[in-house]
Amino acid sequence: MSIHSFPFPFSKEEYAYSNNSSLLDPPWMITVTDDYKKEIMLKRKLLQQNHDRCFRSLPISLESQWEVLRLVLHQLAEAYPSHFSLSQNGKEFKFQNHLLEEEVQFVFRDNASIDLEPLDIVGRHVQEDLILMGDRSDGLFLEAGQLCFPSNWSLTFVLGMEFKSIHYPVPGIKDSGFIEKVERFISRIGPNTAWERKNWSITISEKLDTPLETYADWGRLRKEVTHENAGEMVHLRVEVQRLYRLPINHDILFSIHTYLLSLEELVQHEQWLKMFYENIRTLSSDIADYKGISQYKDEVIHFLEKTMDDKEKMIR
Amino acid sequence: MGLRQYSLINDPFQEKSEFTIAVKNVGTKEGGSAFLHHHVHTGDVIEASGPENFFPVRTEARHHLLLAAGIGITPFLSMMAFLKGMNQPFELHYSGSSEHECAFYSTIKENYPDESTFYFMKREQKERELKKVLEDQPVGTHIYICGPSSFMDTYLSYCKNLGYPDENLHSERFRPAKITQKPYPFSVTEKNTGKTVQVQSNQSLLEALREEGIPVPYACRMGVCGTCEVNVCNGEVIHHDTFLTEDERKEKMLTCVSRGKGHLSVRV
Repeated sequence: MSIHSFPFPFSKEEYAYSNNSSLLDPPWMITVTDDYKKEIMLKRKLLQQNHDRCFRSLPISLESQWEVLRLVLHQLAEAYPSHFSLSQNGKEFKFQNHLLEEEVQFVFRDNASIDLEPLDIVGRHVQEDLILMGDRSDGLFLEAGQLCFPSNWSLTFVLGMEFKSIHYPVPGIKDSGFIEKVERFISRIGPNTAWERKNWSITISEKLDTPLETYADWGRLRKEVTHENAGEMVHLRVEVQRLYRLPINHDILFSIHTYLLSLEELVQHEQWLKMFYENIRTLSSDIADYKGISQYKDEVIHFLEKTMDDKEKMIR
Repeated sequence: MGLRQYSLINDPFQEKSEFTIAVKNVGTKEGGSAFLHHHVHTGDVIEASGPENFFPVRTEARHHLLLAAGIGITPFLSMMAFLKGMNQPFELHYSGSSEHECAFYSTIKENYPDESTFYFMKREQKERELKKVLEDQPVGTHIYICGPSSFMDTYLSYCKNLGYPDENLHSERFRPAKITQKPYPFSVTEKNTGKTVQVQSNQSLLEALREEGIPVPYACRMGVCGTCEVNVCNGEVIHHDTFLTEDERKEKMLTCVSRGKGHLSVRV
């Protein structure tokens, strides 16, 4: 990840909870970065090896999946015309991915015209994980997803669950009524409108795929962090999350683009180093536990303080 | 002509880049409908905002029952095309004063012969028949009602008495739920800016605040989406929205439709 395009998530020198969403114009759900090919290949490998873990859907989501397929292909072609093109003849669509030299053809809403479910097709052409939330009369429900790069959660576990229930484990989110406000905020998103927020956590090693199912493989790395290897091992993980109201089916598309940046790279940016340090330092213990940082928080702080000291010495 | 909302009547699945609306000429001189009927011609350019949806079809329903009166039929035209396209079971019950006065009568008869029933009869008989229809629905039926206020109030309260859960009852109003027969001017102090604004009888609090340069976000202007909510610090509010809960009304108001009595103080 180039430091120049990294979506640094902090704007204040203290950790605070917020619905830090902003309206997106144009309402594009996707971003293509330099890592496109590398990440798409990883995605497809994961899908091939563990399809059940990476793609799940309920039958009720199918119509919205079609809407997402068409929408995301449209947006790719609109946002990156030299990389993608989409042509339409009546209900027949032809999508060309020039980066991968691939072509996808389908008849809109004709299930016989495709081999995979629509969301499973379109997800293979974008770096984002794609989640569909059904907007039902009694709440938002996770009804389909293609999820290859989760940060310690399981699609299998949350499929069919209500938005609020999924988020109750977040410390303090229930008592304050915060999650209800977020849900109402989402339920108010108008057709063809998109909102973006950044969420962050930390991943040990440069690993995008950290599902709950393979925790045994990547979770143990948390114990190996020392102040000496922190710069190399510890990565700030930022999820650029976007929410979009599908105009026909009135459901919500949730896209997650995950970016990783090693602390080594992060500390090169003076301002980021300072802000990151202050945010980690002031992080409450329940949030640190929730984000899985407690185990090595002291080592990270040690590393950051030493880096700041060294920089100061160099200036002197 | 100012701001008006009209239902889109297109088939949502059609592959055309166009929106279609239907407007009944209700004949008042200053009205939006008269303007569209008499002063707008093919080729004229009209500024329009993007579509909103405050009356969505709930696809989790086991059955959809659409209840229309008069020009309240418009939102159901796109809903029926959608439901038909989705292969979901629905029925339309459409009442009007006469076949002749019934908008889209032949289109509906032609496209939805098995799903539609028309009611051109005296009110008492219509009520008897419609109530029987409402009593006799499978579990999981969602009811959608659109028409004049009195029509919607009658059938919404009847459905509630029958035990339909609120989540299964949906209605779209042409205008805010309750209309102050005679809106009075009032004044408002906005706490963050310290500005005091006069709200005239012919304008909303939202309009008055925005004219004063106080940026209140908004969307529907009908008291249904909740975007323009502000905190009420002091004063008596006359609520006209259909969005806030009773609890929220103790400290909040929607500036697009709700008004104050005398003087209010609010925080944006």
